[in-house]
Amino acid sequence: MGGRRLTLHLAGINNQNFVMRDDETGSWWQQSTGEAFAGPLRGSRLRLVFADEVAFAIWRREHPAGRVLRPDASPAWRTWSADWEAKTGRMPVVAGVPGADGRGPLPPRALVLGLEQGGAARAYPIAALAGQGVIQDDLGGLPVVILVGEDGRSLRAFESAFDGRRVPFFAKLDGSPAATATAPPRLWVDGTSGSEWDFQGQAVAGPWQGRRLRPLPAMKDYWFDWRIYHPRTTVYAAGRDGGASR
Amino acid sequence: MPGKMAPSRPRRWPWAATLLAVIAAAVAVVWIPIWTLRPFVPQSAAAMARAYALLRAAPAATLVALAAAAALAWRLWGSTRWPGRLLLAAALVPVGAAAWMARQNLFERLFPPLVRTGFASPAAATAFVDPGDMVLAIQVQGDAAAFPVRQIAFHHVVEEEVGGTPVAVTY
Repeated sequence: MGGRRLTLHLAGINNQNFVMRDDETGSWWQQSTGEAFAGPLRGSRLRLVFADEVAFAIWRREHPAGRVLRPDASPAWRTWSADWEAKTGRMPVVAGVPGADGRGPLPPRALVLGLEQGGAARAYPIAALAGQGVIQDDLGGLPVVILVGEDGRSLRAFESAFDGRRVPFFAKLDGSPAATATAPPRLWVDGTSGSEWDFQGQAVAGPWQGRRLRPLPAMKDYWFDWRIYHPRTTVYAAGRDGGASR
Repeated sequence: MPGKMAPSRPRRWPWAATLLAVIAAAVAVVWIPIWTLRPFVPQSAAAMARAYALLRAAPAATLVALAAAAALAWRLWGSTRWPGRLLLAAALVPVGAAAWMARQNLFERLFPPLVRTGFASPAAATAFVDPGDMVLAIQVQGDAAAFPVRQIAFHHVVEEEVGGTPVAVTY
């Protein structure tokens, strides 16, 4: 931040989204947005470093020379995290947040992939994406494609346009093996050139071989939390014309 | 001595009342932010601002309160008999506890930070990450680092430098 390195600590919670505090100025940072909402740096925003959330098997195939964070020597993390997704999914939601009463378009703790583009925000319910190989949409005027990895859980979003032209993508589901982390890598074909694309958004065969799609930042989140920080968000509804939303 | 106690008695209560007020203030300074930052209750912007102000002030404020409480107890000590003196000594306990609490991070007690980060090769990592486990993947300047979600979800914040860029990985 402004050339100064900040050391962040877990320091609180704000409507179920964590708050971090930096040692250097004592400012409070909201986890979801990276924005300081209290303290000397109030109003500043940390720069988002692109990251994606994928299965270890997929990441390992893509980055054989990469490095993996080694766990803490204390076994506390292992015990706590053994069933953390199920545990957290059962936790109550703060009363009063939009959608907490279950009357919203999704249950409060439905997992969504959240995208923000050109001032527009949209939540893609992960349960609806998992059974598919590819999702095409338009968001904030940008053609978007979401690829679903071979484990059925790893998701990546890209801009699906070249030279200002929208490019359609189709999943190449040869024999369509069941979605597991150890299934063979999935491939996609674009409808413009017929090239083959991998999960990293790179054309691996065909006329466009070597081209890369521009990755788009996406955040996996609970619906209620995404809704708090994106009050005007829409929800992707599969099966409707043009990736309609409500 | 007993003769001197009687006339001083009417003048003791303001000191005792001040001591009680100091104890209450020290406890409140620490307790209000804890109460505000409970995990499953709504937090308003105003309550968050108040909690922040109190948390910032608490370390110094509780030390001042401890000094004030000690001075008040000392002031009352001479004019108090033994059972009362025990009460005076006990009065310092909540103020001391508040000063200690003001220096604790309850959230990091629940979810201890990963102080020293270490890394393994993808092959060695199979000892602690399953193929289907999700990882947060960052790549900067050719440096590809994976942060297993199970670990990050516990620590919540892990600090590291990837490709020369300092990053706080949070989940």
